[in-house]
Amino acid sequence: MHSAVQRANTVATIAAILLATICAAASFLDAFNSPSLQAHVQVVKINRFRRQLDGNDEVKMTLKMSMDLTSLFTWNTKQVFVFLAAEYETDTNSLNQVSLWDHIVQEKERASFQVKVPTKYPLIDQGTNLRGKKVGLVLHWHIMPISGRMIQGKMPLSNFSLPDSYTTRS
Amino acid sequence: MAGRSEFSASARGVSNCSTQSYLCRGDSHVFPSSPVLKARINEMDWQGQKHAEMLMQIFLVFSAVAAFGAGYLMHDFRLMMLIYAGGVVLTALVTVPNWPYFNRHPLKWLDPSEAEKHPKPQVSNITSSSSSKKKASKNK
Repeated sequence: MHSAVQRANTVATIAAILLATICAAASFLDAFNSPSLQAHVQVVKINRFRRQLDGNDEVKMTLKMSMDLTSLFTWNTKQVFVFLAAEYETDTNSLNQVSLWDHIVQEKERASFQVKVPTKYPLIDQGTNLRGKKVGLVLHWHIMPISGRMIQGKMPLSNFSLPDSYTTRS
Repeated sequence: MAGRSEFSASARGVSNCSTQSYLCRGDSHVFPSSPVLKARINEMDWQGQKHAEMLMQIFLVFSAVAAFGAGYLMHDFRLMMLIYAGGVVLTALVTVPNWPYFNRHPLKWLDPSEAEKHPKPQVSNITSSSSSKKKASKNK
């Protein structure tokens, strides 16, 4: 602590340690946030249900979704990534999860919305098992904080059944 | 303080400041007036260094706590960062430069004229030649 440069070094070091401490404290408080969100999804119609040229089933549909994600946001949240997954079971796989639609919410004010939108990504099976299949829709979210560990969660929503036969010939 | 010349100077009883010489010659009437100039020229004394270190720790911890509290209450992470950065800059401004406030108990070095009246005592005849050789190198 003799010269100004040594004192400047000490200030910088202690400031960095305290910065890490307050970021860790902010992240730690996130654990006490118990989110209670509401979401509802409904399949409006199946736009296309066919078998692709390489042999896999493919489904495109229109979804009507409404969700309220505001309780996921804290002061330490940078953005929330939310996606809707279709889950179903086949003979070869006990669980298939296919993402149909996703969205990034960056502000708490825009976390509550309703959309009626065709699926961003088609539901493509590993095989031809989708005829007449009962599919469950599950909403997943990843909360990305400003400082700390990413928090994941999910919520099962409604189920629906695919038609027994293809709607268009491939 | 290991590499400073003051140590060897104090053994001889003479101040040998590494800074501007007119301050060490005893010309105390020739003194810079503004605190900024004083900060650039003077060093801190021991009490001042201890005081500066204590102030630094208190300021920094207080900045961190205040920043976290404000950010938590206002639900604003960016506010926390801004308050903390301001606190760190304030701490650096207060404790890093050699403000004259930290130099209120300066060490009194022996006057050169006094030192010549009381020469350093010789240790023994055997080592006297080596010590006088050392003195010669220090005297330069």
